[in-house]
Amino acid sequence: MPPRPKKFVCTLCKNNVQVVDYKNPGFLANYITYYRSLQSRFHTGVCLKHQKQLAVAVKRARGMGLLAAVRYEK
Amino acid sequence: MQQYEIMVIIPNSLDAKAAEKSYKDLNKRLADEFGAQVTFEDFWGERGFAYIINKQKWGYYAVSQFEMDPTRAQELRHELNLDKEIVRFLLTKVDPRAPKPQKYADMQKEYAAANKKKAEAAKDAKPAPGKKAKLTTVKEDAPAKEADTKPTEKAEAPAADEAPKDAVDKKLDAIIDESSTDL
Repeated sequence: MPPRPKKFVCTLCKNNVQVVDYKNPGFLANYITYYRSLQSRFHTGVCLKHQKQLAVAVKRARGMGLLAAVRYEK
Repeated sequence: MQQYEIMVIIPNSLDAKAAEKSYKDLNKRLADEFGAQVTFEDFWGERGFAYIINKQKWGYYAVSQFEMDPTRAQELRHELNLDKEIVRFLLTKVDPRAPKPQKYADMQKEYAAANKKKAEAAKDAKPAPGKKAKLTTVKEDAPAKEADTKPTEKAEAPAADEAPKDAVDKKLDAIIDESSTDL
């Protein structure tokens, strides 16, 4: 029998994060791509609850100029 | 009563003191006109934008939390939209499960410490032979981070330059004196 695949563990659940904060762009930067779009759940490895919170937080941060929505070339 | 959080950007046409004052005025206005109880105040200070807003590259950020009657929220939004001393604002409900609000300075420190830990862990992991290097996603420094450093650089730069400037001035004076004597 092939080995069982590893059990899916959300990193945010593991760290006991209840609410994702939009005020910490350094943290949110871990969950966006090179071109500044939100990474999919496949790549973030986060549960659905936290993925939805991340999406809201990133959008709020974008609105307030904490994160960019596109990548700017210098 | 509902717990709200507001983040405002104050334009960089004001200097730091005036910006802080206008932020405090805003808090006062919340208390007087909207019957809000301000529970948390934090003036972040200068911070660069991740993209250009109103043709400007930076502004003053400030965050405060308060309790307010939810029926007044619409009115507050309307007033803030008309306010010319606010570039942008974000009024959000505070999740009851959210931890206590943190000051910006503490947040920065925590983030720096976490980054240091990560860097050290990466260093320790490198010498271990036999293991393949992990595939990491492209983690390019977000422009916001660069923006973080901008204001501090601004603050540090003049202090560092002062001493050499004096020396250069003296040298120039000496050269001028010499040249005048030669003539």
